[in-house]
Amino acid sequence: MFLAPFKHHRPTELSAVFEALAKYGDEAAVYAGGTELLLALKARVLRYEHLIDLKRVRELAGIKVDGEELVIGALATHHEIANSAVVKQHVPAYAALSEGIANIRVRSAGTLAGNLSFSEPHSDPPSLLAAMGASVTLVSPQARRSVPAAEFIVGEFTTVRNEDELIAEIRIPLTRAGEGYRYLKFGHLERPAVGASAGCIIRGGHTRYRLWLGALGDHPIHAAEVEDAIAGVPVALLPDVLPKLAVSFASKISATSDLHGSADYKQHLASVLMQRALAAACAAASGERVSHA
Amino acid sequence: MSDRLSPPNPDHLEKVTGRTQFITDIEVPGMLHGKVLRSTVPHAMIKSIDVSAALAIPGVVAVLTGADIVGLNHHWGPSLKDRPLIAIDRVRYVGEPVAMVAAENERIAEEALDAIVVDYELLPFVTEAAEALEPGAPLVHGNHEAIKDFYFKGEAKPVAGTNIFQRYAYEQGDVEKAFAESDRCFESKYEFPMVFHYAMEPHCVIASFHGDSLTLWSCGQSPTAVQKVLSRVFDMPLARIRIISPHIGGGFGGKASVKIDPLVAALAWKLRRPVRVCLSISESMLTARRLSATVHVRTGVRNDGTILAKSVRVLMNGGAYADTGPAVAVKAANRAIGPYRIPNLSLESVAVYTNTVPGAAFRSIGGPQAVWATESQMDEIAEALGLNPAEFRNRNLLRRGEHVRADLRPIDVEMGEAMDIAAQEMSRIKALDGDNITYDGTALGISDPGIMPVASVVMRLKIDGSVAVISNSVEIGQGVRGVLRKLASEQLNQPIEAIEVLTPDTAIAPYDWGTGASRSSLMMGLAIEDAARDILSQVAEIAELVFSADPAAVRFCEGGIIFGNEKKTFSELLHTYYGIDSGEIVGVGRVTPYSNGGRLAQAPLFWETAAGQCAIAVDEETGEIKVRHYVSVADVGRVVNRAAAEGQDEGASMMAFGHTLSEELVYQDGQPINATMIDYHVPTIDKAPENFVTVLIESGTGPGPGGMRGMGEGAILPVAPAIANALAAGYGARIRELPLTPERVWRAIREKRGS
Repeated sequence: MFLAPFKHHRPTELSAVFEALAKYGDEAAVYAGGTELLLALKARVLRYEHLIDLKRVRELAGIKVDGEELVIGALATHHEIANSAVVKQHVPAYAALSEGIANIRVRSAGTLAGNLSFSEPHSDPPSLLAAMGASVTLVSPQARRSVPAAEFIVGEFTTVRNEDELIAEIRIPLTRAGEGYRYLKFGHLERPAVGASAGCIIRGGHTRYRLWLGALGDHPIHAAEVEDAIAGVPVALLPDVLPKLAVSFASKISATSDLHGSADYKQHLASVLMQRALAAACAAASGERVSHA
Repeated sequence: MSDRLSPPNPDHLEKVTGRTQFITDIEVPGMLHGKVLRSTVPHAMIKSIDVSAALAIPGVVAVLTGADIVGLNHHWGPSLKDRPLIAIDRVRYVGEPVAMVAAENERIAEEALDAIVVDYELLPFVTEAAEALEPGAPLVHGNHEAIKDFYFKGEAKPVAGTNIFQRYAYEQGDVEKAFAESDRCFESKYEFPMVFHYAMEPHCVIASFHGDSLTLWSCGQSPTAVQKVLSRVFDMPLARIRIISPHIGGGFGGKASVKIDPLVAALAWKLRRPVRVCLSISESMLTARRLSATVHVRTGVRNDGTILAKSVRVLMNGGAYADTGPAVAVKAANRAIGPYRIPNLSLESVAVYTNTVPGAAFRSIGGPQAVWATESQMDEIAEALGLNPAEFRNRNLLRRGEHVRADLRPIDVEMGEAMDIAAQEMSRIKALDGDNITYDGTALGISDPGIMPVASVVMRLKIDGSVAVISNSVEIGQGVRGVLRKLASEQLNQPIEAIEVLTPDTAIAPYDWGTGASRSSLMMGLAIEDAARDILSQVAEIAELVFSADPAAVRFCEGGIIFGNEKKTFSELLHTYYGIDSGEIVGVGRVTPYSNGGRLAQAPLFWETAAGQCAIAVDEETGEIKVRHYVSVADVGRVVNRAAAEGQDEGASMMAFGHTLSEELVYQDGQPINATMIDYHVPTIDKAPENFVTVLIESGTGPGPGGMRGMGEGAILPVAPAIANALAAGYGARIRELPLTPERVWRAIREKRGS
C-alpha cells in the first residue's frame, strides 16, 4: 500500500497552483488533507505524476463571517470547523455535522472542500449544505463563480468543477433566530448508509421547511414534493402529515442494494431520518436547546 | 486492591512510549523487502507468468514464482499437505500468493508487482459450503496426504473425490429413540459468518539463510511449528532452523500454527539474502479468517423442561486450504453440547474446501459458531415451554464432577454459580443506572481447550540471584511475560525484580507446542513449577556437598536458601561450590502426558467456560442494537495478573461484539468485496457498553499452580446468543443468522409485528 512515485509541489500562492495545473494538466492533482486522494493512490485506483499540496496557500485558509454568510476556506479541516467558535455560534448544525464525520484522524486532516471535490456519495456534508442554501465558490485563473451547493455534485465522484478550477471557499448563510437545521445519519459501516438534512424556517407566523437526503444516490436528493406539501403547516401539526409524505417520498427514491443495506431498508431509513431530522430542526428553530451529541 | 495498583505488565511502558521492538522494527544487514502478487481470480490454472518487465525495474532483485520451488518439498500444512509454498500451476482463491518480488525497498517491490503479467485459464469456482457439498461441485483439490500427529493429535479425515477435508462424528445413547420419546422436538439452523481476526499488527516475517542455517523472525504464535514445517520444506535439521519471536501485535489464531513463514522463507532461499515481508492489513484479511458455519441443532425435551436428546450437525466453510480447519470442525461439534446433561447425544461435523480465504483457528476454535447455535436454541425452547430461560438452563445444568460427554473429563466448574453471579451483577448495574428500558439476555459457553500437555521451560538461576526464564511462549499482547515472571517469582520465592523473561528463540528455548488455546499461562506455569523443583534439588545437593546441609530441609528464601537455622545467599553457595565468584544453575521444567501422575493426560485439561448477560435497547425504526450493559463471568481458578486477566476477558467479549453486530466477510462472484478496513466494520470503543463488568471466580480448582486454569477465550462465547436472546425476549424477534445488522433486526421486528 505505497504511493507510486510522484513529484511533490508546494506552492504558496494560488497563481502558482494554477501555473502548475496548466503545466501538468491531467498528470497533476491538488490535495489538502489527502484523506480521500491518498487512499485512492495507495490502492492504485488513481495515479498522478504530480501532486500539488495546497496547504501553504494562505488565500484558501480561514473561517470567518462575511455579512450574512459564514465563509469556510478550502483548507479548513472538519475538526477546525467543528471546534470553531464562529461556526458553533452562527451555523451550529453544521458544526455538529463536522464533529460526527468519520473519525478523529479523518477530521483532523480532511477538509470540507476536499470532501466536496471528491464527491464520494457516502458522505455527510453535501445534503446539509444544500438544505442550508450554501454555495461553493470556484476560482480559475480567469474567473470566480459561485455555485449553489445543491447543484455542485452531479454524480458519483463528479462535480461541476472544471479542470482548471479550485474550490476557494464554501459560504453558508448564517442561521438566524427562528431557523433551525439538523443533519442525522445512520449506517453500521464506516460511512453513512443514509443521511437526512432538515431545516425549519419560521418567519412571521409562516413556517417553511427544507429536506434533503444524502448517501442514498450519487448526489444529494431534494425532497421537494415533501417540502411543498408541508410548507405553511405549523410545527405542531407536522406529525399529522409528515409520516405519510415521508414514507411515500422515500418509497420512490431509487436506491441500490449493497453492503450498506438493501434498497427497501435504505428507503425506510430515509423516511425515518427525514422525520427525525425535521423534528430536531423544528426544535432548534423554536429555540429549544438541542443536544447535538 | 493491591493487584490493581501494582504495575501491570512490565512491557506496557515500553509499548506506550513506542520503544517495543516488533518485527517491522528489525533491520538485518543486507535485508531486502518482499511484496506479494495475489490472485485476482477465485479459481484458475496459471497458463503463464511473465516477470521480465518487473525484473527490468531498477532495484528489483528477484521474483519468486511456482517454477522456482519444484525442487523443494513444496506442499505443506498442519493437518493436510494441501498447500504449495506459492501457487504452482493453479490458484484457489482471490488473494492467493502467485508471485513475490524482492527489491531494495518496499516501494520498488510494490511498483514491480504491477509489471508482472499472469495469464489465467478460469475454472468454475465455489464459495458457499453447501454448494461445495453438492454433486458436481467444482473440486478445489485433488487428494492430499493427511499427516498424523503433526501439529494436532490425530489426523484429518478427508473424503476422496469431494470437497470434504474433515468429517467427525460422536454418538452416545440412542438419539432417535430419545427423540421419539420426547414431548417436544426443536430443530433450527443457525448461521455464523466468516470473520477476520484483525490483529492490529499485520503478518510480518524476516527470513535469512546463512551458511547451512536459517533464521526467521516470525510473527507466528507457534514457533516450533514454524520450525518443523520449514525443516520439512527445505529438508534441513531442526537444530539449524532458528525462530525468534519478538513482541507480536496480536494473534487471535490468525498467526497460529504456520501462516506466511514458508512463503517468506522460500523467497529468502531463492535470494540467499535476508528478506522482510510485512503484509498490509488488507493482505492479512486475505491470509486467514474464522471458518463460517451452518449449525443444525435438534433437541428433544420433556414438557417439564428436561432435555432428553440433542443432535448437532455442523457444516463449516474451510476455504481454499485446510490449515487448522480440521481441528476447528471437531471443536465446533463438541462446543455445541453446552454445560447440560444430555443423555442421548449425536454430533456430526463436516468441513469443506471452497474458493475463499483459508479458514483457520480463531479465539476459541469453533466455539462461537457452536455456542451461537446451541444457546440461541436454549432460549427458544424455554420460550416454547413457557419456562424462564435461566430456570430451563438450571434444570439441565451439569454440576461440578458430572460428565459433559462420557469420554471427556467431567466438568470442573459450577456453571450455575457463574450464571447467578451474572444475573446479580446485572441487577446491581441496572439499579445503579436507574435503567428500566433495556431487555436482558443470557448465554453460557463451555469449551474443551485443545491443549496437548507438552511444554517445557529453562530457568537459569544466576549467582546473584537473578533468574532468566526461557520459553517459547510468545508475547502477543496477552501479557504472558508478566504472568511467567510472577509465577517464577512465586515458585522460586524470589522478588519479582529478580526475574527476567526472555524473548522466545528456538535456538535456546526448549520445545513448546505453541501459544494459543488458552494454554500458555497454565502450561508454562506447570513447567515453571517443575523447573523450580529441578533447581531446588540441584541447590540442595550442592548445599549438602559444601555446607553439609540436610538436602530435604533446603528451601528457597529471598536471595538464597535456608536450611535449619542457616541461611546462605546463592552467591555464598555457588562461590563455595565453583571456587570462583561466578556461575549459575540451570533448571529444566517439563510437562508431558505423564506429568503429575498422568492427571494432565485426560482431555480436556480443564473446561474453559463463561456466563454472559447483556442488557440491550433497540431503536425499532432503524434496527440498531445498543448493548448498554454487559456482565461476563468465568471461573478461572486463580487470577495471576488481575489487570491482564480482566483485559483478556473484556477483549474477548468486545471481539464478539464484532461477529455479533457488524462483522462479515462478504463474497460476490468469487470476490471478497469488503476485505478492507473501510468496508469491514470492527467495533470501535464507542460501541463498548456503558457498563461492562467482568467477574473472575477464583475457585482454585484448575490444574495449574495455585489452582489456576487457562483463560482468554471463553468470554467470546456467550455474547452473540446473549444479545440475540435479549432481542427475542424484548422484541419477539428471533434471528438465527449473524451478524445482527440493523437491517436484519429491523426486518425481524417488522415481520414479528406483521406489518
